[in-house]
Amino acid sequence: MPLAKKRIGIVCPYGWDTPGGVQSHVGDLAEYLIAQGHFVSVLAPVINEEAIPDYVISAGRPISIPYNGAVARILFGPLAFARVKQWIGNGNFDLLHLHEPAIPSISLLACWASEGPLVGTFHAASTRQKIAFAITPFIEPVIEKLTARIAVSEAARETLQIHLDTDAVVVPNGIYAKRFSDAHTDPRWSGNTIGFMGRFEENRKGLSVLIEALPLIIEKIPDIRVIVAGPGNPATILEDMDPHLRQRFTFLGRISEQDKANFMSSVSIYVAPNTGGESFGIILAEALAGGASVLASDIPAFDSLLGHGKYGSLFQSENAQDLAKRAIELLNNPDLRTAIAKAGREYAQSFDWDVVAERIYDVYEMAMVGHDGVTLSSDSRAWNKLLGRN
Amino acid sequence: MNKFLAAALFIAALAWYLSFLAGRLDRLHNRVETSWANLDGLLQRRAAIAIEIARSEISDPASSLLLTFAAHQARDASVRDRSQAETGLTGALGILLESSGEISTPIELDLVRELDDLTQKIKVAIAMHVEAVDRTQMVRKKFLIRIFRLAGHAPAPVIYEFEGDVL
Repeated sequence: MPLAKKRIGIVCPYGWDTPGGVQSHVGDLAEYLIAQGHFVSVLAPVINEEAIPDYVISAGRPISIPYNGAVARILFGPLAFARVKQWIGNGNFDLLHLHEPAIPSISLLACWASEGPLVGTFHAASTRQKIAFAITPFIEPVIEKLTARIAVSEAARETLQIHLDTDAVVVPNGIYAKRFSDAHTDPRWSGNTIGFMGRFEENRKGLSVLIEALPLIIEKIPDIRVIVAGPGNPATILEDMDPHLRQRFTFLGRISEQDKANFMSSVSIYVAPNTGGESFGIILAEALAGGASVLASDIPAFDSLLGHGKYGSLFQSENAQDLAKRAIELLNNPDLRTAIAKAGREYAQSFDWDVVAERIYDVYEMAMVGHDGVTLSSDSRAWNKLLGRN
Repeated sequence: MNKFLAAALFIAALAWYLSFLAGRLDRLHNRVETSWANLDGLLQRRAAIAIEIARSEISDPASSLLLTFAAHQARDASVRDRSQAETGLTGALGILLESSGEISTPIELDLVRELDDLTQKIKVAIAMHVEAVDRTQMVRKKFLIRIFRLAGHAPAPVIYEFEGDVL
């Protein structure tokens, strides 16, 4: 990376306290850039202001609204707008990096309020956002201000082309691949096991598809066990389950980063039965980096991340029979599993932060050409100049 | 009286909207120019590296001639012919690097690595420029912008047809 140290402002639209793909992406990116010697400030909605890292500035408490099949904790309104303007005005930034600027959030407000090098990253991929068509005329002139656009996946890029009629450079999400390469096998989770990770109570994560497929898998592999990691209350899942299935489940709750790496290298196969709403599938990249043999639903994001089946097996989304068939195929064939896992592990290195952050910084550099830092757009308005306000 | 007030409000709103549109268009024109300057600079650097590669040990005399010719053509081309000339240079570089096999000398390795970095950046620069041009042309077509001549004397941007995928 070049020697010139920059002041970079990053806006995260979702509540910092709630775990999520965008938040962890922003956090990792900020820490990477800080380690490179840049000054980074992240503006995000925050619930508990005492539990945030130094580089995060609170924009206020987020409000919960349903969005894209999940509950999004975001923030907007006049008070938030004032805070955003204050942050930009005092920040003296060389560049602003706005995440998910096309949803009503502080990212959109920041884009509206500023002038200069703006980079936007689009995470969401969904072809069913009818509302997007209705709000496009309002959002278009704002999105147009972005000097450069990044999409985290081909699916996100397509969504952008369909809804906002603009193109983007694809830069994938990053993972710390090194953390996964020195993982070791944990005997508690190895053997004939199926791993699942994520907020299992959410329907779109597809745990129910796996549960439906389990009896079919048991027929062929009687000692199969399912290990579920991730936050949530197991009782909601176990309640209406057959008792003889229940004993095959182990719930670990939320696990540490190191355990996550061990988990991925211990389980026989890692299953991601997500039914949609996924844009990139960072968890799959991590599973690959951890050396797991992956079996995932064929939703567009996973299909493209797994190289159309080259780095992991795919089954027809929401089809429990197909899931069972592929799982048995993998479980009965250790050689195939090892081969797939090995290819996947090598491929996962391309998602390492060293590679990804460098590509993001390339975009930053391009965006900063010919600009002299970020200013508030209200500073350059004719009437404010006339009135001597500045 | 009310009619006057309504008319005054309408004119004020129109004036605000026109100034908003003009600002929007001005920003876009500005971006077309900066993104082109950026892309142009990167392409010039690529041509310079290509000439260096032509002089290095990777290249045999025939390839050197071809590469030098392509690089000079890319440098001298007008904006309209630029994409074709650059595609020619890409082709020449591709042929040479594919046929040269393992590169072991440090100077040559550095050159190839620099070219790789530059290619990444050029892809981004092309995407940014094409986007700016597309947007500008779209906004220039708007009815209000045409009848109020908000584009002024700014020349209509030329599309750079070079796709990033070609590199």
